Amino acid sequence: MTATPELIASAPAPIPLGSSPDRRGSWIPNGGLITTRIMELRRRRGLMVALIIVTIGIPTVFLVIRLLTHAFDPSSYGPAGGEDIFNSLVAGVLYVFGFIVAATLGCTAGSVDLTEGMFRHLVVTGRSRLALYLARIPAGLAIVVPLVAVGFTIVCAVCVFAAPTQVNYQGVNIPPGLSKAGFAHWAADHQNEVICNFEYHGGPGVVTTVFNSNAVPCGGPGGGAVIQKGPGGPPASASTPSPAMIRAAAVVMAGQNYAGYTRIFLSPSVGLMIRTGLWIELEVVVGFIVGLGLGSLLGQRTVAVVLMIVLEIVLTPILSRANIPHLINLQRSVVGLAVAHLEPSGLGFVFGGGGGPGGGQGTSQLVPESRTAAVFVILAWLVGWTALGAWRMVKRDA
Amino acid sequence: MSITLPTRVGTRTDSDSQWAVETHGLTKRFGENVAVNGVELLVPRGCAFGYLGPNGAGKTTLIRVLLGLTGADSGTMQLLGHSVPRHRAAALARVGAIVDEPRFHGHLTGRQNLQILAAAREREAKDRIGPALERVGMLHRADDKVSKYSMGMRQRLGVAACLIGDPQLLILDEPMNGLDPAGMQDMRDMILSLVAEGRTVVLSSHLLDEVERTCDAVAIVDRGKVIRQGAIADLLAGSSFVVEIECSEPSRAGELLGGTPIGGRVEVGSQGLGITLPAGTGRDVIAEINRVLVGGGIAVYRLQEVQTSLESWFLQVTSRLGVSE
Repeated sequence: MTATPELIASAPAPIPLGSSPDRRGSWIPNGGLITTRIMELRRRRGLMVALIIVTIGIPTVFLVIRLLTHAFDPSSYGPAGGEDIFNSLVAGVLYVFGFIVAATLGCTAGSVDLTEGMFRHLVVTGRSRLALYLARIPAGLAIVVPLVAVGFTIVCAVCVFAAPTQVNYQGVNIPPGLSKAGFAHWAADHQNEVICNFEYHGGPGVVTTVFNSNAVPCGGPGGGAVIQKGPGGPPASASTPSPAMIRAAAVVMAGQNYAGYTRIFLSPSVGLMIRTGLWIELEVVVGFIVGLGLGSLLGQRTVAVVLMIVLEIVLTPILSRANIPHLINLQRSVVGLAVAHLEPSGLGFVFGGGGGPGGGQGTSQLVPESRTAAVFVILAWLVGWTALGAWRMVKRDA
Repeated sequence: MSITLPTRVGTRTDSDSQWAVETHGLTKRFGENVAVNGVELLVPRGCAFGYLGPNGAGKTTLIRVLLGLTGADSGTMQLLGHSVPRHRAAALARVGAIVDEPRFHGHLTGRQNLQILAAAREREAKDRIGPALERVGMLHRADDKVSKYSMGMRQRLGVAACLIGDPQLLILDEPMNGLDPAGMQDMRDMILSLVAEGRTVVLSSHLLDEVERTCDAVAIVDRGKVIRQGAIADLLAGSSFVVEIECSEPSRAGELLGGTPIGGRVEVGSQGLGITLPAGTGRDVIAEINRVLVGGGIAVYRLQEVQTSLESWFLQVTSRLGVSE
């Protein structure tokens, strides 16, 4: 039972056991695996164009249009920037589309080796399948995180540099950054606008006198003041106030509204932008990791992408708002709801919802969940989908 | 070249194995279907080894099991002396393979695809990309997208993908698919040159003529089982052969031979006879045939022993295509 001696003599010696210097059995991906994976994804021209359009193109076009319309007709069109625009673009566009873009890239990264026949070549190299899977995570994030960051930076830049020059409070344009005394001084000089537009929460009789005198022309019935009554509004009475009384009334009302004035900013603060940027990137990371796991699990891209879009656009908003008593814990396990609960305070609506305790402005519309629970839900999704995707990759017939 | 196949080796250590591929009782099932059925296969190192079988015989499944692309249900296997799957990484470190149709990322160039595969191998693999492309004649198209490649070019790229690992063992599944005659000649030459360098090439193919021209030894697989294996010359020496006779009055010649104890199967044609004789039949039997015919008044114009081709032998031994030996 031998081959011919000359045949054996010419054969190369077998590789000694354990002499694999490249550690190809290790589950830790090396730099080469990651960089070539980045190259493979980056060269998908159609996908990259779509990602750039969604993450950078849409906000940029929106802002450019606002810049142009404001430049040509500032009386009809407001400034392109400002905190309101920031809220709308971040919570309304980047949050949702960032997730979908990341999920699409994840589904692609998780399935294309299989569908395009490269998986078999890669397995034959002897490289750990787990390492092949894990290499996709930094590779995909290295693409989608900077893309979203660029889009977000553009939004921040326009919202700061093209912000309105005056605060619009209760329909009245007011210089920004006034102290309480400065605010009172400004109110004294703009007594009619203050008395006609600011809320009045009760108090000194001088205001009541002014309200009932029709001395301040606000354009209401009979030419008198149309009062923005808060709780404890003035009782009806009639007398003729002096200019000093009107001035005093304006100062009183300014004092009552100063707190509201200070909550309005011309542009998002640096702190808000940083926190929002990190929050958006968290959403992107979640989208990519879940998409990667789902793509690997299903072994194909299209169905995985559709499922991810349905999750983000349909299921998450419904399950985040509808309070279903018997399914409340299931609802809390939805990752989109958990991420929404980590929304930075001061930010606007997310799919009509909002932040958690101390968070955004739509708190009451969301199914309640503590921040701790939200963090654990997010971690569970990240770890769970990574484990599922990796398991399928390791066990799959190539 | 003479290769005889041994019986199972007992307790040999990995490092001194003389077999590039060694399997014992390897079995793979898909539900009720046994695709690989207790395969005992021994591929000597440093030769071209053909792996033959009809469609659906389990050739590709065995290759997939060997490479760890799918798991075996039972049995043991070694590649280059390393147990698989226990030492899979070490075993595959010096194995290159094309399984089924070679497919790559179509949006990348051939070179970029090889870069991805090189990154999954050792560091030196990256330096072998250029030489590998040159060796398969693809250097001039290396920077074109694979989506623009023909089937034959993808086959060549597949071989290049094998070569970047500096393989001691290449497992090529139908490498001639999609190649034109010149491409097949190039592939044949390449396989022979790889063997000349001391590498082992396992060639799975249905092109029997190509295998006969390229390989030193073969294994025949049918219905998941290896039914024959050994050096081609040895296997053919053990098969039946045909004696072709050109003569007058073929019908009467057939009747004459039918009344003798020569044995074999006689087929009568318009120009003469074809007599299939069992392996080991002596030359004196052929002489006796001639004497019978001449003695019976038949004019014998030509009498020739025809060597059995691999193809006809293959048809003999594979049960579903003809007579089983």
